[in-house]
Amino acid sequence: MSKINPLFFALGIPVVVIVILVAIVAPRMGGGGKFAELTPFSVDAYRKDWATLQGNSYRLDCQVEQQLAFVEGRGRVLAVKPIEKDPTRPSGRIPIFVPAGSADSFEVGQRFKCKLRVTRDLLVVEALERF
Amino acid sequence: MRHSLFSLFGWCALTVLGFAQAPPPGATVNSGGTAGDYKSSSAEGGADRVFNVNSDSVDMENGTMQWKGTTMNLGNSRAVRARFERYLAAPTDNGDMKRYVALLDQIQFLLSAQSINQDNYYRNQQEAFNLLFKAAEYDIDANNSLTIASQVQKIWVMKQEFRQIEITKNQMETLRKVQEGIIINRADNIEAANDARSEGGSKSKPLGKSSSGTTELGFKVKDEARTQAQILAKDAELLALGLKAKIEFQSQMVSFLMARRYRHSLITSSFYRVLFKGGSQNIVVGAKEVKEFFPISDFVPTLESFDMLSREAIKDTSKGMQTVDDLVKQGELYGAFERLQETFFLGEFEPVVMSYPQEKKREMLALWKDLRELQRLGDERDLGSVEGYVNKVRGRARDFPGAPILSKVTNAMNASNMSLLSAKGAALAGDNAKAEAALERAAKIWPQNPGVKDFATQVVSRQDTLAQKIPEFDRLMTESKWRDIYNKKLEYALALAQDKERSEKLRKVVNRVGELDANIQKASVLATQNNPYLAWDVIVEVYKTESDDIVLAKTRSDIAPLVANYAQLIGHAEKLEKDGAEAAALTAWLSAQDLNPASPACGAAVKRLAKSVAESAVIRSAGSVPAPPPAPAADDEVPVPAKK
Repeated sequence: MSKINPLFFALGIPVVVIVILVAIVAPRMGGGGKFAELTPFSVDAYRKDWATLQGNSYRLDCQVEQQLAFVEGRGRVLAVKPIEKDPTRPSGRIPIFVPAGSADSFEVGQRFKCKLRVTRDLLVVEALERF
Repeated sequence: MRHSLFSLFGWCALTVLGFAQAPPPGATVNSGGTAGDYKSSSAEGGADRVFNVNSDSVDMENGTMQWKGTTMNLGNSRAVRARFERYLAAPTDNGDMKRYVALLDQIQFLLSAQSINQDNYYRNQQEAFNLLFKAAEYDIDANNSLTIASQVQKIWVMKQEFRQIEITKNQMETLRKVQEGIIINRADNIEAANDARSEGGSKSKPLGKSSSGTTELGFKVKDEARTQAQILAKDAELLALGLKAKIEFQSQMVSFLMARRYRHSLITSSFYRVLFKGGSQNIVVGAKEVKEFFPISDFVPTLESFDMLSREAIKDTSKGMQTVDDLVKQGELYGAFERLQETFFLGEFEPVVMSYPQEKKREMLALWKDLRELQRLGDERDLGSVEGYVNKVRGRARDFPGAPILSKVTNAMNASNMSLLSAKGAALAGDNAKAEAALERAAKIWPQNPGVKDFATQVVSRQDTLAQKIPEFDRLMTESKWRDIYNKKLEYALALAQDKERSEKLRKVVNRVGELDANIQKASVLATQNNPYLAWDVIVEVYKTESDDIVLAKTRSDIAPLVANYAQLIGHAEKLEKDGAEAAALTAWLSAQDLNPASPACGAAVKRLAKSVAESAVIRSAGSVPAPPPAPAADDEVPVPAKK
């Protein structure tokens, strides 16, 4: 019969799987993810002077609070709540515009990582992923 | 009496005027319901049964007094009032009343049928005559006894003259008889001479007078006729003298009765009965007046009729004063006052009336003055002051019937006020004629109604007000000073009542400011209930249209410190929206909504802006429709949210 101890397999395989998962998920959980290369969106800066942010793209981790408006063929306006690293300083809701081309559905409470572009004062979602 | 007052002063003042008067005929005063009937009529008396007795009452207004169903004239009302007031105010007459009354009674006794006879006929007359001078020494007598004495003395003198005339007449009769004898003698002589001549003539007819003495006879007949005429003249003189004496005496007797000097009337009557013969006992003077007291057909007045009236009056006076005393003792001063008033006018000169104690009269005088004042208030319809005076009189006389007076006064006041309301309504409706009539009616009922005065002032100044208020109203309208108009809305309503166009504008302004005030009140209440954000919403909403209102501005400044961040967010949002930054404005509104989730204003703004942003998003992004996110790669590990 095999010379390898079965206990070795019983313990080894879960360990390997865990290592693999950590290797895959950890970088994403650490703020990187798909839009890790983008600068995090500053709600305060936007509120203070949106004009200075015009044309820029940002990364925003947020949670859907409410769909404010939906226009067929144009898109929808969502009120989202940015997910702050410091939950003691919530920055309040902001509106984002999701163009009509997106095939995603949005439910209250869902979390997304978004790539935003500041088009004039409008925060347009160019890409997103749920997490 | 009361009826005349009713017609004079109207229903509102009738009682006020009436209470100072005597009760109507037949009225009774029940002293507490236990003291019996104090009717001042002498209906109980047996002699009164022949009379048509109603009741005694004094009519101050006409200056008359009802006694035994007959009206006695007391003079004009002013003089009557003055006399009664003077009686109350005057000190009580001094002197021994009992002695005085005893003297008068003694005089009557000396002349009475039970006392006088053939033997003492002249002595009693003289004694009674002398007592008259003693009675005249009393002040209370007012020298009326002297008047009787003078009258009696005059009769005695007349009797002397009568006797003298009788003597002259007798002498003339003797002369006439002598003259008659001479005439007869002369006539006999002439007849004898004529007879002798007739016999001689048949034998020879001598020339000469056929008869002599005829001329003398004619003169003698003439003398006799003159004497006869003189006797007849003396008879006529006697008759006239007797009639004159009778009439003068009866006149004096009636005068005493009418002057209510009953005791003197009785004494005069007694003297008359003694001085004149039985054939002169019928009444010539005052028969008509006396008949009025006896409503019986074919009634023949006699001396006894006079005596009975006088005695009844004396008895009633005495009983009246007893009643007064009894009522005073029971504390029923008003009833006592009324009875005293009646008794005074019936027996003003009776000793029992004149000797009434001064302290009691003073008490009555005070009540009398209060009643007069109350009557004056009624005359002037000063209804506002009547209640106070009624209470004052009640304090003085607990039996004073004040409740009906107050009831009438209250009704009159209400009627006046209702007429005034009617006048105001008519004035506001522009019906000046009706307003004037209603105002006149209100003023007639209660001239001193303060409402009448105010309204009259308003009416008088209305023209001036119109001249001032219309331009002022127009100016405030032009300057949109709604609050200023609202604060004077009643004045403008009155002034612009006839101007429909301006009245409509005023109505709108009043509604507008009223609504504004309601919102301000609502905001204040919300702020008080620790809900400043909702209060601010109300203020902001109202402020959009009423930014010039001072009260709103003050409320706004009061609440603003409580919602500084919220107000700043809203202000910022509005500014951003105004600048065209709708998305940024939406962000600000969302932040505001986070502070005030229940805010309808925030909810509406968010909804409106979200829709607008959604519709214009493509245009706002410079025409470039953002590319949809690329399709996830096959190896994309991020799970796509589950589709609905």
